[in-house]
Amino acid sequence: MNLKNKITFVLIMIFNISLYAQGGYRLSGTISDGDKMPIPGANVIIANTTKGAATDLDGKFQVDVKKGDVLQFSYIGYKMQSITITNQKTLNVVLIENNSQLDEVVVVGYGSRRKSDITGAVSSIKSEEINAFPVLDATQALQGRAAGVVVQSNNGGEPGAPISIKIRGNTSINASSDPLIVVDGFVGASMPQANDIESIEVLKDASATAIYGSRGSNGVVMVTTKKGRSGKLSIEVNSNYSVSNTANRLDLLNADEFAAYQQTFNPGYVQGPADTDWQDLLYRSGSTTNHQFSFSGGSDKINFYASANYFKQDGIVINSDFEKITFLSNIDAQVTDKLKLGMNLFGSIGSKNGIATQSTGDSANGGGDDVISLMFRFTPDRGIYDENGDFTTNSIGENVDNPYAVATQRVNETKTDNYRANLYANYDIIENLTFKTTFGYSTVNETNGSYVPSTLIANDGGRGGTAIISNKRGTTVLSENYLTYKKTLGKGDLTVLAGYSYQKNTTFRFTAGAQDFIDDDFSFYNLSGSNTALIPTSSLVEQEIQSQFGRLNYDYDDKYLLTATIRRDGSSNFAKNEKYAIFPSGAIGWKISNEDFLKDSETVSNLKIRASYGLTGNQAISAYQSLARFDNINGLYGGSIVSAVVPDQAANENLKWETSYQTNIGVDLGLFNSKVSLSLDYYNINTKDLIIADSSQPLYLGFLTSASLKNVGEINNKGFEVSLNTRNITNENFSWTTDFNWATNKNKIKTLLNGQDIYLDASPSYFSRADTHILREGEAAGVFYGFESKGVWQGGALPEGTATLAGAVAGDPLYNDLDGSGVITTDDRKIIGNPNPDYTFGITNNFSYKNFDLNIFFQGSQGGEIFNLTNVQLYNGDSNATKEVLNAWTPTNTDTNTPSIANRRDLSSRFIEDGSYIRLKNIALGYNFPSTFTDKLGMDKIRLTVSAQNLLTLTKYSGLDPEVSYFADSAGSSSAGNTTSGFDFGNYPTIRSVNFSLNLKF
Amino acid sequence: MKRYKYIFALIGLSMIGCSDLEEKPVGILAPESYFTSMDKVEIAVKGAYSYMANRYFMGRETAMTLMLRSDIVEISDPNTSVDRRNHNDLTDLANNGQTLQSWKIMYQIIAAANQAIAGAELVTAEASVKNPLIAQAYFARAFTYFHLVQQFGAIPYFDKPVSDVAEASNVTKTPVADVYANIIADLQFAKEWLPNTQATRALPAKSAASAYLASVYLTMGDYPNAYTEATDFISKKGIYNIELEADYQDLFDADKSGSSLEPIFLIDYIGDSSIGNYSTDYLVPLTGIRKDNQFGVGQEGWAVMVPSLKTYLSYNALDYRRQVSFNATAKFGAVDGPVTPYTGFKAADSRNQNQPYIAKYTRLRGDTPGAEGRASSQNYIMMRYAEVLLIAAEAVNEIPGGSIAEAEGYLNLVRARARSGGVTNGNVPSLFPIDAIGSTQATFRDAVLEERRIELAFEQKRWYDIVRRKLGPTVFGASGLEGNKSFTDANYLIAIPAEEVLRNPNLAL
Repeated sequence: MNLKNKITFVLIMIFNISLYAQGGYRLSGTISDGDKMPIPGANVIIANTTKGAATDLDGKFQVDVKKGDVLQFSYIGYKMQSITITNQKTLNVVLIENNSQLDEVVVVGYGSRRKSDITGAVSSIKSEEINAFPVLDATQALQGRAAGVVVQSNNGGEPGAPISIKIRGNTSINASSDPLIVVDGFVGASMPQANDIESIEVLKDASATAIYGSRGSNGVVMVTTKKGRSGKLSIEVNSNYSVSNTANRLDLLNADEFAAYQQTFNPGYVQGPADTDWQDLLYRSGSTTNHQFSFSGGSDKINFYASANYFKQDGIVINSDFEKITFLSNIDAQVTDKLKLGMNLFGSIGSKNGIATQSTGDSANGGGDDVISLMFRFTPDRGIYDENGDFTTNSIGENVDNPYAVATQRVNETKTDNYRANLYANYDIIENLTFKTTFGYSTVNETNGSYVPSTLIANDGGRGGTAIISNKRGTTVLSENYLTYKKTLGKGDLTVLAGYSYQKNTTFRFTAGAQDFIDDDFSFYNLSGSNTALIPTSSLVEQEIQSQFGRLNYDYDDKYLLTATIRRDGSSNFAKNEKYAIFPSGAIGWKISNEDFLKDSETVSNLKIRASYGLTGNQAISAYQSLARFDNINGLYGGSIVSAVVPDQAANENLKWETSYQTNIGVDLGLFNSKVSLSLDYYNINTKDLIIADSSQPLYLGFLTSASLKNVGEINNKGFEVSLNTRNITNENFSWTTDFNWATNKNKIKTLLNGQDIYLDASPSYFSRADTHILREGEAAGVFYGFESKGVWQGGALPEGTATLAGAVAGDPLYNDLDGSGVITTDDRKIIGNPNPDYTFGITNNFSYKNFDLNIFFQGSQGGEIFNLTNVQLYNGDSNATKEVLNAWTPTNTDTNTPSIANRRDLSSRFIEDGSYIRLKNIALGYNFPSTFTDKLGMDKIRLTVSAQNLLTLTKYSGLDPEVSYFADSAGSSSAGNTTSGFDFGNYPTIRSVNFSLNLKF
Repeated sequence: MKRYKYIFALIGLSMIGCSDLEEKPVGILAPESYFTSMDKVEIAVKGAYSYMANRYFMGRETAMTLMLRSDIVEISDPNTSVDRRNHNDLTDLANNGQTLQSWKIMYQIIAAANQAIAGAELVTAEASVKNPLIAQAYFARAFTYFHLVQQFGAIPYFDKPVSDVAEASNVTKTPVADVYANIIADLQFAKEWLPNTQATRALPAKSAASAYLASVYLTMGDYPNAYTEATDFISKKGIYNIELEADYQDLFDADKSGSSLEPIFLIDYIGDSSIGNYSTDYLVPLTGIRKDNQFGVGQEGWAVMVPSLKTYLSYNALDYRRQVSFNATAKFGAVDGPVTPYTGFKAADSRNQNQPYIAKYTRLRGDTPGAEGRASSQNYIMMRYAEVLLIAAEAVNEIPGGSIAEAEGYLNLVRARARSGGVTNGNVPSLFPIDAIGSTQATFRDAVLEERRIELAFEQKRWYDIVRRKLGPTVFGASGLEGNKSFTDANYLIAIPAEEVLRNPNLAL
């Protein structure tokens, strides 16, 4: 055989095994709906096997059968039909519409359930919604899609910014509120690419999450990736290209206005030679490219799905971009009638070039490393370079470099490799009893390199350039083993699950760095080309979790549902006396619509009530936190740098996990043959034993870590969720559906250590270092704290109940004098705002007319407040400013509420604004080429989509964007969002984009 | 059998992991098993000294408190943080962040010293091996408690590591007299066991323990013991290898002060910012002039603190120490550009004052890798021989029947050195300051305190002198160097931070 023939032969061997494996004959047919419309993508499966096929766009299928086989025909939203093969050669099947999606299968922990049998609170998001518009991270696609799930970028439109998800509020103070992510059964996996996802289920209540025990408190996001289907090999190509721009700009002073403004309070100010619009200079038109290629298929024995994806985003601020390549493959093999094996493989490599944003203000003069805030505050009468060709520095205030210099000169590159493999075996031991074991391994390797060159003056330039390399390598080994027993007992269906799990996480980190380089061109690639080595660091953290878990489902007569779960988790992180924790839950459901008195109702097609109660946990303790410890520090001893040992903390042998006590009550209602389906859920989550840093430990004890940890706090989240789906119009050429969700959550701190308020400071460190947030019993976590603004002091007698800070002059701000002392001190601070929204919502309308479809998706948030720290800086006098500043108080302009300009960053209610918004998140118009056309090309599908994201935002907020996320002290830390949210400062701007996409299927 | 082979395979796959869940940290140290040798004890001793060089102590926070509370340094930039302004105004905030940081670092030094001393008890070694090492920890503890007791009065006192947090969180303050008794005991132990000399003055030798003993006695008003200790020191200066430095300027020259014989104990910054707060001092930028380029571009100061003009004018214009201690001119243009006198400082930047700035830290700072002079190479002298001479002088003057002539003799040694001039005035000897002669006890008492103010200016001694000599009403009166500050006796003690009192209400007792 020549090479070509060999390849052909091999391909035939791979793809047509079925031809040789069959003994029956080939049956063909069509599947259509009640209106005689063909149903593409419907499943045809031979019962009790994995053999089968799917229909093509014309609803046609072919399947190899033999006499006696039972064929099952199914499609989402339709009732399954079974037909026994006698010797039909063709079959034309008409599927009857079901009571909506009740028979849809929903993935839950360690198994799946029919949606109609679910007793907990679970939201499902399907592939079409996830891929409605291109997203960097599939997590983003959840925003506005599921009630009670709040999704936000941690840094606006930054390429590669992490996305945070919060389900049903903050259940903790110091621990993460991020949900557990489970991908194809792998606990704690990273998100696959959106195009590879079949469905995402969000498990919200204890009945659904308690099976994940000490990691279930924040909800669980179950991700299922696409699998191959037996039948024809299918190839898909999806290409997206989008162009993006900043959604908004600030209206800042130009050079003349700025100089005139400075001279009003800084008479000696001399106007510089240039007129620079730093926003113009730094913003650019960004772009996003995404190409995905996948192929899938299978025979009766083996199914496979494989894909490759390339994503590239150039940010809208110069010098920021992100690139990622992802591979995924799923193989499932029916080895024998009883044994099924499979493997999921996932790999990605990402590369992010960042600019410094959201600066904590710690690492350089007064926030001089933060491109975004510098872009607003830097003086407009300076150019990029001075007369000597050096980068300019600010003419006022802190000695900072210009934003162009910081954006172009600083190097900050993160490369992330992410690999995961998960092998499973499923064995039917005896009838009704199945054993499944999975063994998986994942590794994340992240390297960050940064370099601050000597050309930057105010940054680390004085040190002759500073390079730092840090590396983190995390690995997870996971073994899960469980038995599932299913049995029909009279009218009841019983399912019992019992299992054992072991997981080990290892994180190894190191950093190295150097200063004073002989050449800036080295960047961070030649540490030895320097005069000063920084002390390298390294650390190893290991954590083991071993668990037993079980679940019992009992459905009686398809009317009464019972679910009970339990998990016993042991974790090495837990303290000596508290190694094991038990998390039980129970739930009941009643399908009222299946009762005789409603069964035949024309109006009510579905009615179910559900109630659940259970305990879940949050592993709020980091490794080694409960041990008595020394720590080593590097210090000076006798004029040399030495490593020395000091007392770090005393032992805490009783430290344990945080526990959430969750109640959920829900109703599912379907009307008019499920043209209208409504779900309502009420929940009450009481989280106890919150770990709070006990700063009541006196500093004079002299420990390096001055606070100890205690399980003392309690926080409550109560909420209500509505999800409404309607099929407004459905006819041959036109359909219109609406999905609406709405959620409200009320967060309240019930107990703190000794009832004492906890003050938090999340402002940049060069601000006043005043407290910005407070934790107080009876209030929501992380409300804003500060002075209550009462306008401007005009001089003379103070208006009743108000006062100024000591040493004030006319034009200074007036504040509410709470203690009546006649002068404003820290005792006059109060709660001045709440960043938590009253409610959030999303509404999607889908229209389709013939081959066109239109998707309009609004998403919004109402009642959350924003602390506009950008304005605090811009009103500080040592900054450029927005035009509003021209209205500040002066002896000749006294009729104003804006105090005179001065070096003063006091945090007051003056800077708190309503952050409510409604946003047209996505509008997309798609066109499917008709099959008459695609058939000619030998293709199954050609689809074109044009869409726009963030086209319209309705808000009263004066800043750049109401979706803000600045966390100074703990930038990027997972718990910061619990207590110090709602700050607008130095965020990478949100982008507005127009996207073109092409989908091809062969 | 066929069926079972799969089951075996499955069991094989699932037999992974069975753990006792014990944490076995790598790279983290467990107190119960740490102290196995004297080497480990030495590493713990180093902990105490590492904290001592941390910026929160004399590199920045504690030093600023002591400077600003004195009558010779005031605020330059009026918008500088309120914590600093409060100390200068002697109106303590209930919660002064600077005080809190300073308080914390001092107790960290003590905790580290206590840990080293307790750790040594777990190690078997000869007293001749063990004691010279832990004497360093005794010295660190005494040195730090001495600062604490002078600043706060009665304080919580621990001489053992804290193991029961609840109990330690509830202690009452130890009276001042008891704290002093413990300090003296520690210093006596240190004096007994420390070597006569160390390789560097950054480590305490017998001389350091002895000089601090003299200083402690003087502070307590125990003049006979202060005199005995100081003269014992003076008689042993050869053994201790101590001598007055010829050129006063060299004491504040980063390249020379480390090898000078005059410093007795110092904190040796080495021009290295690589370990952050643990090696970075800030007095150079804090006392430097805004936009001043006389020491090189990018090395300008923050103009946080400045001596009052009266302080500057209180020096005799011919006193070499005025030239060494102050920067009366600056260069706001290029390094080789025109010189601006101090009357033009404010015009260059509104945060400057038209007053000469402190030069002891800025002028000869050595290598400073941090921007604006952070992380200098200066040696921060905690104790030097001139002070021992002045202690002897002050003490003998107070002893009934003490010789005033002897007192004048010690004082005149210090003045003679000042008169001889040095590199900063072109090595031109001066007529000033003239020798003291024919003093009465009262005039000498004033003279020696004035001498300390001039000689030890900006070395964090002045506030303690005001406290121990109860000079408040005088020096903060209308004729004081900084004008009237309505001083009351309560101002002699710095308020223990309210946060700390909240944590242990017994501190309010």
